[in-house]
Amino acid sequence: MPLMGRYSDGITATVHDVVLALDKSVARPELIIADASSYDEIDRWPVDKVFSLPSHKSELRVGVEGRPTGARLVFSGPEPMAVAHTLFPELPHHRRRESGRELRLLGFSTLALVSVVAAYVFGVPLIANRITTLVPPKWETDLGAIAEGQIRQIIGIEGGFAFCDTDPTSLANRAISRFTSEVMAGSSSPFVPTIDVVRSEIPNAFALPGGHAYYFSALLDKTETPDEFAGVMAHEIGHVIHRHGMEGLIASSATGLLVGFILGDMTNVSVAGAVGATLIDSRFSRDAEREADRFAAATARRLGFDPAALATLLERVADDSAMSQSLAFLSTHPLTAERRIALEEMAEETPAPSRDPVFSDAEWRAIKTMCDRTPANQVPQTYETPSVRIQSMPRN
Amino acid sequence: MTDVAQGPWARAKHLGGKPAPTGHPVTFSGRRGELFVRLLRGYLLMVPTLGLYRFWLTTTKRRFYWQNTLIGGERLEYTGSALQLLIGFMFAVGVFLPIYLGFFYLSFQSSTIAMIGYGTAALLLWFLAGYAIYRGRDFRLSRTLWRGIRFDQRGSAFRYALRRFLWSFVVLFTAGLAYPFMAANLWRYRYTHTWFGDRQFSFSGSWRTIAGPFYWAWGAFAVSVAVIVAALIGREPTTIVWSTILSAAVGAACFFYYRSRETSRMFSAVRLGDASLSVRVKARSLFGQFFLYGLSLMGALIVLGVIGFGIATAFNTGFRPTEFSAASIARAGWTGVALGVGGYLATVSAFTLLGEVFIDCGFWMLVSRGATITNIASLDSVGATAEDASLVGEGLADALNVGSF
Repeated sequence: MPLMGRYSDGITATVHDVVLALDKSVARPELIIADASSYDEIDRWPVDKVFSLPSHKSELRVGVEGRPTGARLVFSGPEPMAVAHTLFPELPHHRRRESGRELRLLGFSTLALVSVVAAYVFGVPLIANRITTLVPPKWETDLGAIAEGQIRQIIGIEGGFAFCDTDPTSLANRAISRFTSEVMAGSSSPFVPTIDVVRSEIPNAFALPGGHAYYFSALLDKTETPDEFAGVMAHEIGHVIHRHGMEGLIASSATGLLVGFILGDMTNVSVAGAVGATLIDSRFSRDAEREADRFAAATARRLGFDPAALATLLERVADDSAMSQSLAFLSTHPLTAERRIALEEMAEETPAPSRDPVFSDAEWRAIKTMCDRTPANQVPQTYETPSVRIQSMPRN
Repeated sequence: MTDVAQGPWARAKHLGGKPAPTGHPVTFSGRRGELFVRLLRGYLLMVPTLGLYRFWLTTTKRRFYWQNTLIGGERLEYTGSALQLLIGFMFAVGVFLPIYLGFFYLSFQSSTIAMIGYGTAALLLWFLAGYAIYRGRDFRLSRTLWRGIRFDQRGSAFRYALRRFLWSFVVLFTAGLAYPFMAANLWRYRYTHTWFGDRQFSFSGSWRTIAGPFYWAWGAFAVSVAVIVAALIGREPTTIVWSTILSAAVGAACFFYYRSRETSRMFSAVRLGDASLSVRVKARSLFGQFFLYGLSLMGALIVLGVIGFGIATAFNTGFRPTEFSAASIARAGWTGVALGVGGYLATVSAFTLLGEVFIDCGFWMLVSRGATITNIASLDSVGATAEDASLVGEGLADALNVGSF
């Protein structure tokens, strides 16, 4: 029985029923394609130039080099397919080469992407740091102002934060600004940090890009010694000096780009994208927290207060339950226990020189009672993470 | 029905829903099961390849659709490759980088400038989506072969995007009433610039083609919204509940009724020279696909739940189904967190995978099996044209998540 197939020449949209025969009389065997009814020869295809094309499992579809790209021979049904395969013994090799090429392409592009991700995870903290130094301080200050506005909206306090003590010349505020300038002494940072104690039920403190930091009254209530207070403030000023807010913004923008690339959704609207970005970003913020801790410890040595006091306060506020431990890899903060060990090690390296206490008794009493006078404003019940990355201190 | 029921649609109706005797039915030989296997394999392979396998998955998925669609007994052939999609995506990344940097810069500006900037960027993306849709269509058509001849999308993607962009605001400001005009305008632009070899498609429809079903559906939906509003003003709880249920049912009915009519009538207005396409999709068949999707989703979620519970019990994680919350997952420690993240990914994948198997594939099946082509013999004289190797648009469609099939 002759081999029957359907043929299109790739020039006109007609399909011919054809009968096929192999001409082995020539040097390179040729496939004779002839009309099925008139047996008129239509074309001759060199057998070694024939390649197979992906098609439905019920048919074998082949094309040929040196003819229009749409030139096709189609064999339908198991029997014609089997006969056709004997005509083109090279086809399986072609196909294997083809799939081998695809597999290599997939493999190499995956490897390339893996190295991009690796370079990113290890390189971005360094690069973000370099880029940050290129960003004009003015931009960062402006960004801080925008972030402040957003945070006020989120926290929902009308007219902004409720400052515990609005008088800049009060004993407490003067003590805080004296401490701030002592911390900043000798620093080349372009920022002038200001720290305000504000009324809030959340035990927290954070610094915004550009230098404005906040110490919440609930945290002040839990702060028992001047050294603890100084430790937290030094930690926040550390964030300001190292420009962690800026660094975080640059890093998370880059992360968004990378995760968008992996998921193929550059608009970054998918939840999976947000989860992925959070996972990678948390790594950078934890590094930033450690850096701020180191700054606080160095400051403590210089100004003569106990670096470990910061950890004592952290332990009082934070609760290293099983839950927070298992979620630590998602959290932006290193575990308190881990931080305490690091802080104590730093404290042991060089014992603090004995000096006057960082705040006098009168100053500390004034600071502790800052929030006792002003009446409670609208106090927020819930606290959400603001959309702009802020560097926050302890939290529950 | 009004005078809009013209052409093959009316003829088919006259013959009691059977295709005209001269018509060649389009057939679809694919099964959902086969697509499911391809998709499942692709989804799993995306994990070790960090998502890169999606270009190969798209290719294999298109081959499934194309190869199983037979027009006049000949299968369609998809000639695109994964490498082309990968390169196209790289181009799209190049388009997005400046936008990204722009966003980054804007985040430092005062809130007024930032708001204006974000608004402009949103409009730009909305415009770009239209551009990407057109270029994506160009990519698919120019890689579609039938009888050895290639399809093509010509015309300007920019002009199409501009039309879509401007029309979308007209539709918005007229509360949707201008939609039939927009739809007809865009369908006409798409099809009058579509080619099969050297033969140009045409589109005989107008806003009147879908005006009847659209305004009926629009009116019914408006009435149901008014009923809810009235019930809310009345503040009678039982009335509110019943009117909401009733309105939801009316809304769903409107959706299936209108979507089936638009699909049928618009596709039936497509001509290719002397050959014409006629499509009939029934609203109840369309509903059937969504119903199957809902059922399969329920089944899949039950299976996933049982598997998750089995793993949790096997690892003795302390997971208690009675207090299903983030805290209870976290309390279970690392395995709990892994189980939570894995469960989340599996659930999201189940939604999209089954959506592709039942909604997308179902739609393709309904349209292809409901389609007939009259005077197919007139296509014998179509000649081939030169190659088209554009890549960029498809990548953009991928990046903007507006790609289909």
